[in-house]
Amino acid sequence: MKHGISELEWNDYLDGRAAAEVRDRIEAHLVGCLQCWEFYEQLSGATEELLAAGEQARQALTLEDPQLHAMLRGVFSKVKTGESGSRVQGQLNVLETVLATFFGTQTAISALHAAARNSPARSLDQVTPDNWEPFLERLATIAGAMCGSTFAGLVRERGQF
Amino acid sequence: MVEERQVIESFLLARTDETFCALFETVCVRLRRYFLLRGLDAATAEDLTQNVFVKVYQHAGELREPDHFYGWLFAIARNEMVSYWRREPPALERVEAEELSGRQAHGLWKESEEAPALRVTELLQTLEPAERDLVVLRFVEGLSYEELAAALKLPMGTVKWRIFNARKKLSRAAGTSRTLRARENVN
Repeated sequence: MKHGISELEWNDYLDGRAAAEVRDRIEAHLVGCLQCWEFYEQLSGATEELLAAGEQARQALTLEDPQLHAMLRGVFSKVKTGESGSRVQGQLNVLETVLATFFGTQTAISALHAAARNSPARSLDQVTPDNWEPFLERLATIAGAMCGSTFAGLVRERGQF
Repeated sequence: MVEERQVIESFLLARTDETFCALFETVCVRLRRYFLLRGLDAATAEDLTQNVFVKVYQHAGELREPDHFYGWLFAIARNEMVSYWRREPPALERVEAEELSGRQAHGLWKESEEAPALRVTELLQTLEPAERDLVVLRFVEGLSYEELAAALKLPMGTVKWRIFNARKKLSRAAGTSRTLRARENVN
């Protein structure tokens, strides 16, 4: 349906946002065009129904305070997990760089995995700030066995948070 | 509404845990409702709402203008939902492939009994997925066209055109149901 009224103009008119000139033009046309008047009535009815349905949804889908607070605690818990995860990853990258300088990347990665396996973390992806110290000690021991106590000391020093 | 804007402004200005909590309490219901109306179950809706707020907490520094907040927020929400559907294909496909046990079937029946019957859910079924997003954000959450354009990363004209098309489809569906009701009354 055109009759000189574009779809965007119809949309703005239904929202009550049409410019004064457009609004006047549409209203002047509606007075004399039954087809457009029926079209407008249908769209207007659909819009009212949508607004009423929206209001009903807002009233029905709410949250009780305990549920809200439990969700908020969950957000902070996820934030904390994410932060400690990125801190650990940062330190692992530092240690990998230190080890790789002497032994190459492949051996450095193997040493990190071996240290994690033989520490309470049991695997590299399970290393956290809580089990970091025993992991670091295992890694320092491996580094010491490969390159002496000075290098072990360097690993201990660079691995501190 | 004024209070809501103040909460958003305070958060963007200070970004402390206190202002974040106030923001969460103000906006959380809206996000959860958006996910529920887009067809996710309650547990998933809550999980995704939390994920969105983690991103808000971490990336709020990228946003300065309170006017752009809802567009930004629902853009994150949509991305979160798209990622979820990529990880988890729609349940319908799996339900069709698996036979439900009696207990599972009972669980589904109870859930549908307890879920509130919402008119908007019926209306959304007559629309395409892309239109459902627009209708929920516009008519339930009351986003402006500017916010919709930002949330959906679409030009404003496209947003208006799609809203207009959704109105047309819904008016046709409403017309059909009115005719059926009228026939029932006559019979």
